[in-house]
Amino acid sequence: MKNRKALFGFKDLKVEVEGKEVVKGVSLEIAPGEIHAIMGPNGSGKSSLSNALMGHPGYEITSGEAYLSGENLLDMEADERSRAGLFLAFQYPLAIPGVTVANFLRAALKSHRGPDADMTDFRRLLKAEMKSLSIDESFATRYLNDGFSGGEKKRVEILQMSVLNPQVALLDETDSGLDIDALKTVADGINRYHSENNGILLVTHYQRLLNYVKPDYVHVMIGGRLVKSGGPELALKLEESGYDWVAEEVGQKAGV
Amino acid sequence: MSENKPDIHIPEVIPELERGPLWLRELRRTSREAYNSTPIPARGLHLWRYTDPVKFVVDRSGAADTPYGDNYDDVEKVELNNLSEGHLSGLVSDFGGREIRFHGFEKLLADGIVVTTISEALEKYHSIVEEHLYQLVGSRSGKFEAMNGALWNDGIFIYIPDGKSVDKPIHLLREAGLAGSAQFPRTLVVVGRNAGLTLVDEYGGGTTEESAPGSYSNGAVEIFGQADSRTRYIMLQRQTQSTTSYLTHRARIDRGASMFTFALSFGGDTSKQNFGVILNGPGAESKMYGLLFGADYQHFDNHTLHHHAAGQTRSDIDFKVVLRDKALSAYTGLIKIDRQAKACEAYQENRNLLLNKGTRAETIPELEILNEDVMCSHGATIGPIDPMMVFYLQSRGVEYQQAMRMIVSGFVSDTLQQVPGDLQERITGFVNQRLEHL
Ligand SMILES: Nc1ncnc2c1ncn2[C@@H]1O[C@H](COP(=O)(O)OP(=O)(O)OP(=O)(O)O)[C@@H](O)[C@H]1O
Ligand SMILES: [Mg+2]
Repeated sequence: MKNRKALFGFKDLKVEVEGKEVVKGVSLEIAPGEIHAIMGPNGSGKSSLSNALMGHPGYEITSGEAYLSGENLLDMEADERSRAGLFLAFQYPLAIPGVTVANFLRAALKSHRGPDADMTDFRRLLKAEMKSLSIDESFATRYLNDGFSGGEKKRVEILQMSVLNPQVALLDETDSGLDIDALKTVADGINRYHSENNGILLVTHYQRLLNYVKPDYVHVMIGGRLVKSGGPELALKLEESGYDWVAEEVGQKAGV
Repeated sequence: MSENKPDIHIPEVIPELERGPLWLRELRRTSREAYNSTPIPARGLHLWRYTDPVKFVVDRSGAADTPYGDNYDDVEKVELNNLSEGHLSGLVSDFGGREIRFHGFEKLLADGIVVTTISEALEKYHSIVEEHLYQLVGSRSGKFEAMNGALWNDGIFIYIPDGKSVDKPIHLLREAGLAGSAQFPRTLVVVGRNAGLTLVDEYGGGTTEESAPGSYSNGAVEIFGQADSRTRYIMLQRQTQSTTSYLTHRARIDRGASMFTFALSFGGDTSKQNFGVILNGPGAESKMYGLLFGADYQHFDNHTLHHHAAGQTRSDIDFKVVLRDKALSAYTGLIKIDRQAKACEAYQENRNLLLNKGTRAETIPELEILNEDVMCSHGATIGPIDPMMVFYLQSRGVEYQQAMRMIVSGFVSDTLQQVPGDLQERITGFVNQRLEHL
């Protein structure tokens, strides 16, 4: 087992959406400095898990626990979870008409720093992070995700992560919809953010992101369960052979 | 309870109002008779479907001495400060017409611009007043318009001579009185040919006591924009939530004239407001914006009218409503295009954002278009705040209340962007002050 104390984790977590159980008891621990990847077929519950961890009102956690730096996440509202250090880059980021990227991020950062915090560095910080992610300056005054292309939305999710610098980042298919150059830019952003002290849980369908952002562990989610874990080589095997063999293996184990 | 409240007649003689020229006394009499002989509108009648008319019947005719509210001095201080810092062209404090004070108009007066009481204007500018007063809001406009016509004490008269322009706002502070008081503010504005005016008309004050009787205000505003004039009228309703408020605004603009109307409705208990612009000459253009924030048990009933009486005229309305708690808003927007008024354009949009269950918004677009040669569109939406947007903001650390405020300010931001640059700060300031308490 791990020697170091886990930074983030959940145990026996079950999630219901619209009265249907879509995550059926999953457990995971992430120690500081670790990168974990979850892969799994469409509809296997990856986004449900991520959303529920972030406190999405549509996803009800019916049992289990989740914690971050020793604190119980499940007692917290979404905003408290964020301020406790959790971040989720959404698979489908929503547009917020009338709220500019800059105002949105300023409000977010201010909520993290506290009401009396000095925000004089904000513009510089935002500008620098946007530059690193090759986001045009004009995006600062555009309404958040309003009319953004798929790839632009993903980039702006990573921008938010960079500015807020969370303890743990859940990245739900941040690589989907990105062109090849953008994938590299975003991966660089993730790697810049990553340190010995924080953790990443990324959900992806493809090996290509994992070529840049190297996971320590890869987990497979099927039917609402984390059914298999391994090292980075597992991702390669999945890419090559798909999920059938895992399902079969699990089926055999379960004696089906 | 309201059903058995009697219709209260206005007495024939109210000594303090028996003054002015004969024609004026005649018009007062006609208004009084119209009020007395017009029954309280039936609830089924279309403009009264959402609001009980009995609320506007008061037994305080003549509005005897009523002291003004406690926080008046603070409000006035803010505007006096704006005046001294050069943000205003002048400030008028109006206490139900019984007392009207003018601040900082020396320069304008020297330039030939007239800002005074209607009673003084009756002496110095008699023919202008006689030609315009009661022409747009008079005894035939409705029972409560007639009530103002009978009971207004003194009012504010603004006249911008041809070619002159007042771009920095003249600010009118109309202060509602304390509990049990009734005010009948009246305003007459004439903007000459190729002249310009920016006017902020603020209705504030009123009692903060929650028990009956509250404060009462029934205002009438008449604005005439002569050919090629440019008028900007900003109405700000900030009365206390124990104030019952009625306001009828009518503007008529001639050939080539423009009218910008911005109505900010924040205050009052029950507020019935009616804004209308008559486009009376080719090339006339009216843009009207409404922002309404309702909370607690506030009840708003707004009407807008764009009446295209001449061809080649253009009108646009964007009326936005945000409600929380148990607040209610009914919006009725009428676009009227006369038979001979060809080649007009008229647009109207009403969007309503509901912050919680228990609020209620109604939207009633009305079109009376009597010719085919027009471009016209109207749209309305009523919807709750998107909980997914709230969650998105919360997931970045922003607290629930602030997330709501941000979404609301996003909802109104495109409307605020239509505000001319020099008024941006002021109007956005009014909105932000209100949002802080949302
Ligand atoms: N808001 C929702 N309403 C109804 N059903 C939902 C909702 N969200 C998720 N589900 C259902 O829950 C199951 C898991 O969906 P989820 O989005 O978690 O899958 P996923 O693993 O993220 O899939 P993908 O790889 O396609 O993103 C699916 O059957 C999905 O239809
Ligand atoms: Mg998903």
